[in-house]
Amino acid sequence: MIMANGAPKLVEVENLQVQFFGGAHPVRAVDGVSFDIAEGETVALVGESGCGKSVTAMALAKLVPQPPGHYAGGRVLFGGREVLAIGERELRHLRGREISYIFQEPGSALNPVFTIGYQILEAIKLHRPEADARAEALELMRLVGIPEPEQRLRAYPHALSGGQQQRVMIAMAIACRPKLLVADEPTTALDVTIQAQILDLLRDLQKRLGMAMLLITHNLGLVAETAHRVNVMYAGRMVESGAAPDVLTRARHPYTRALLEAVPRLDGTEGRLKAIEGNVPNPADLPAGCKFHPRCPYARERCRSEEPPWEFDATAARGARCFFWREIAT
Amino acid sequence: MLEVQDLRVYYGKARQPVRAVNGVSFSLPRGESLGLVGESGCGKSTLGRALLRLEPIHSGRVLLDGVDMVRLRGAQLKAFRGRAQMIFQDPYGSLNPRHSIGGMLREAVAVHGRTTRANRDGRVAELLRAVGLDPAYTRRYPHEFSGGQRQRLGLARSLAVEPQLIIADEPVSALDVSVQVQILNLLKDLQQQLNLALLFIAHDLAVVRYVCSRILVMYLGKVVESAPAPALFAHTRHPYSEALLSAVPDVAKGLAARAGGAQQRIVLRGDMPSPMHTIPGCPFHPRCHRARPRCQTEVPALREIAPGHCSACHFAEEM
Repeated sequence: MIMANGAPKLVEVENLQVQFFGGAHPVRAVDGVSFDIAEGETVALVGESGCGKSVTAMALAKLVPQPPGHYAGGRVLFGGREVLAIGERELRHLRGREISYIFQEPGSALNPVFTIGYQILEAIKLHRPEADARAEALELMRLVGIPEPEQRLRAYPHALSGGQQQRVMIAMAIACRPKLLVADEPTTALDVTIQAQILDLLRDLQKRLGMAMLLITHNLGLVAETAHRVNVMYAGRMVESGAAPDVLTRARHPYTRALLEAVPRLDGTEGRLKAIEGNVPNPADLPAGCKFHPRCPYARERCRSEEPPWEFDATAARGARCFFWREIAT
Repeated sequence: MLEVQDLRVYYGKARQPVRAVNGVSFSLPRGESLGLVGESGCGKSTLGRALLRLEPIHSGRVLLDGVDMVRLRGAQLKAFRGRAQMIFQDPYGSLNPRHSIGGMLREAVAVHGRTTRANRDGRVAELLRAVGLDPAYTRRYPHEFSGGQRQRLGLARSLAVEPQLIIADEPVSALDVSVQVQILNLLKDLQQQLNLALLFIAHDLAVVRYVCSRILVMYLGKVVESAPAPALFAHTRHPYSEALLSAVPDVAKGLAARAGGAQQRIVLRGDMPSPMHTIPGCPFHPRCHRARPRCQTEVPALREIAPGHCSACHFAEEM
């Protein structure tokens, strides 16, 4: 595994805030998220449904639809450029060429009425008019391990299995050799043995092309196996960050700890698992104070009324949003 | 008490049928939990549904306390369904949005009527308490509940008829990680308290190991390995289970692989073939990392390798 320590920063997100309008009050889907990604590094963004991890990922290329979305504050720097401030032309250059995305459901991300070939060629022609698009498409199909690429270019998406469709999505995503690949739950909809194939492919491509990757997932096992660093989100906020092995073995935020304790282990060493009481809060109706306090076993009086700030310890490269994170024993 | 013998579920034309379940046999005593794992299309859900006669059975026997339910009709079939219940993956899709919780549970209590009319409300309250919900919720509707609560309601409804067998088809895979354990613990507790037979169908091996004492691994409509849960995880005897286990992302395994450097993940070639076509020899051989010439011609039988541990691999002893 390549450690990306010391590599220059590719992405910097500072105190990002994204809101959605529609109901009586704006929903603060992302409220105070800061993290960075170095060149060639794999960073994981972990959290449950509704925690804002996908919205954060969309904001990296200013892809949150406006309206109903609204960037209420903070900055996103990509290679030094202010993504949220640049114009439509520059954005188009950024999207697809420098940042590209793959999603959970490859079937719904592909257009059912066009052939695979048409869709891959479109991406190449749009961003790299100088390239021999057809030769390039065949090369990409081979790179992502699709057998009989010439025939497959003429096929429609429905004729491919889920794993093959995800390979096509990856081929399109890397068509322009992006600097950052955002993979939003790339294997969740796939079977376990196919998941392993896709993860191996992503790791291999990343090494060969020197891409950075933002892996969005709810699966801590995936984080342990792939990520250099991990950021944990809850209710639109970053609650913990650090080097992946460090966070997974010495979690400081009560939510991360609870999440780790709630996952059945393959080796069966966990005994009876401790459930996290209650439910993931509705982003439109968040509790006062620390957003995790109603479910937190460590919660004290202060947590009910006052929201803890994001604290980052630069020497340990660890951050957390909890009043007591430095005290919580490991 | 549940005994399944050579069960087959076929679809389509008789000449070239799709063999979704292709000769499965197992037994499940009362008070035991059996896990059924495999990837999509392996036939695990079809098998679960066929056990309740929700799918057409081609041949085979399903004995519940010695009575073959494959041949039951009318009132007898209804009585059988009162003894075996199902919990589904999508807790919202399996609740009628226009029925209040109380109405839904009262109906279930009434249908298999072991409770007098006067006692029904009391029984409904008891059911809600049993699954950890407030009995005051009877006037509410499904949309007012979260995913985890809805799965509790599905469980309450299945318990309403006092079944002996519960078939749970991916009951937690639609739920958030932090909520999954609540449901798994509840299911485990109720299974033990009520001495139920539980058939737990899931694709997540870690979840199945947590809930079940025995595990069946299915591939292309057949059982390829069956073993007590600890034995399966300690020493797999079939290459498919071996690949499945190595492919599951796991925190401890991932951290160990990092520390040691070497990753010993077995990555299978290709996709699971369609059950439309029959594969000569072992059905797993085109993807198998241990395949040898014999596997292309000879179908391996499911046989006992160690006490209680069965495998359908010619070379199970060598693993």
